[in-house]
Formats: sequence, structure tokens, C-alpha cells
Amino acid sequence: MNETSIALIAAGVAVLSGVGAGLGIGIATGKTAESIARQPEASGKIQGIFFIGVALAESTAIYGLVVSLILLFR
Amino acid sequence: MERQASEEAVSIGQRITEAISIRTVFTIRLFGNEIPISDTVIGSWVAMAIIVAAAIAVTRRLRDVPRRPQAIAEAFVEFADSFACGVMGPAGKAYAPFLGTLAAYLAVANLLPMLTPIGGFGFEPPFEIKPIMRDINITAGLSASVIAVVLGSSIAKRGVLGWAASLLKPVAFMLPFNILEYAIRPVSLALRLFGNILGAFIIMRLIEALVPIGAPPIAGLYFDLFDGVMQTVVFVYLSTIFIGEAIHMEEAHE
Repeated sequence: MNETSIALIAAGVAVLSGVGAGLGIGIATGKTAESIARQPEASGKIQGIFFIGVALAESTAIYGLVVSLILLFR
Repeated sequence: MERQASEEAVSIGQRITEAISIRTVFTIRLFGNEIPISDTVIGSWVAMAIIVAAAIAVTRRLRDVPRRPQAIAEAFVEFADSFACGVMGPAGKAYAPFLGTLAAYLAVANLLPMLTPIGGFGFEPPFEIKPIMRDINITAGLSASVIAVVLGSSIAKRGVLGWAASLLKPVAFMLPFNILEYAIRPVSLALRLFGNILGAFIIMRLIEALVPIGAPPIAGLYFDLFDGVMQTVVFVYLSTIFIGEAIHMEEAHE
């Protein structure tokens, strides 16, 4: 295996960080739906917190993307 | 056959590599130093020019009973004020201009690329606007200005010594983590904006290369319009929260 193929495999492995982001966003969405169902009058505040949480959870996937891009376009 | 397929894949990859690369348009010579001006910098000048021109056009003749452009501008300013005050309390009004400018700049810069015509089948788009946030230097500059405002507001609120003391809260053991926070926050802000916009741009290029008819406009609604607006909202919301935390840290911990 030469250097390029190892880098391609590494780029694929880096995208595995999407698993964590997917799990995190799924949990956040589920809990948001639960809490809005329990307290519909607080939905505005809950949505604000939800967006921030999703943005933070998603950033791990973005780090994976950045790493794989660095590997691809060395 | 297989060879042809691999050549096709290489050409798509090369096209994407070429699309995300940043060209140097011209160089400015200043005091013996050469300052390269890239196309992303020019794109950011265009976004600034649009905002400045709109602001001048709207505020040229102000009236007591606002006409439509003035009413829109007033609604935007009022929204920025109420948003900042809603997150930070009454002290937030001082930061509303900064946050509103940030929001306007990000929204214009993220939505301008939607004006590019979609090519394909031998049709070459006459002009092309690429997202300027694909340059990490621009997002890093934005997040650096945000963290400068965070630091400045914290120091202005309680003085240099008070700020140094706030690093030791809630317990002195937290000092390294509090210092790390000042490094991690701008990096994550910059990388989030950069990665999202660049990722959406690459995915749009892939869709345009693979399914040039029908799919790009619909996918563009999500990747260009929704993602661009979403990243604007997230960036401004997170900066607001960071600044709000910096001014309210004492109340929160005591």
C-alpha cells in the first residue's frame, strides 16, 4: 500500500465521527419532541436550546469532515 | 471500461479540487511587503459593499412615518435589539449593532452564491459566485473578532484584575480549563462555519456533476438556502451566548 491509499482509508475512517454526531442529534431531537409534548407553551425556549445543542453536536462531524478533507487534498 | 470509470471519477475529483481552491487575484505592494488578495477577500468586499450601499440607501432620507425600505431597516434593528436583550438582558443593547452587522454580513455572504446559474450539458455559466466562507482565513477572522469582543466586554465589565479573578471561578482548579475555553471557542466557531459551508459546496458540486438536471435546484434549497441561513443563525446565537456569559459570569456563579 502506498501513501495515497492509506490516506484515502484514513479519510474514510475520519468520517466515522458522523456516528457520534448522528447519535447526539437524534437524542437531542427525541428529547426536544418529548419536552415540547409535555410543555407546548415553552416550545420557543426549547427550540432555542435545541438549535444550540445540535450545532455543538454537529461540530464533531464537521471536525471529521475537515480532517478527511485535509487527508484528501494534501 | 473500468479504466474509463476511474478517469471519470478523477475528473470529478479534480473539478472539486479546482472549485474549492482559492486563487490569488492580485498582490498589493506595501512597504516592501507583498499582500496577496485572494478571490475570497474580493467576495467579502462585495458583500460589505452591498451592505454599506443598502444601509446608505435606506437611511438617506429618514421620515417620521417610515416608507417600506425604512420600515424593513427599522424592523431589522429592532429585531437585533430585542434578540440581544432577550439573551443578555438589558446590557445586551450595547452589543446589538455588532451582532446585527455580523448577521447581515454572514447572511449576505452565505446567500450570494445562490445567484450562480447551474451549468451542465455544455452550458457554461457566464459567471460564478463561490461561497467566500470556504476560506478558513475569513471564518477565523470572524471568530477572532467575536472572541475579542468577549474578552473586551469581560474586561470592561470588571477590570483586568476582576477578569483574571474570574478565571479562577468556580474553583482555582478550573484555571487551565477556563483558559483553554478562550482557545477552543473561536476554533470551534471558525471550523463549524468553514466546514458546513465547504461541505455544502462540495456536495452541491457532486450533485451538479452526477445529476445535472432537476436535482441541483431542489438540493440547493437545502444546502445553500437552509444551511446558509442556519449557519448564520448558529454563529450569531453562539456569539451572543458567549458575550452574555462573559458579562453575566459573576451572577451565575455567586
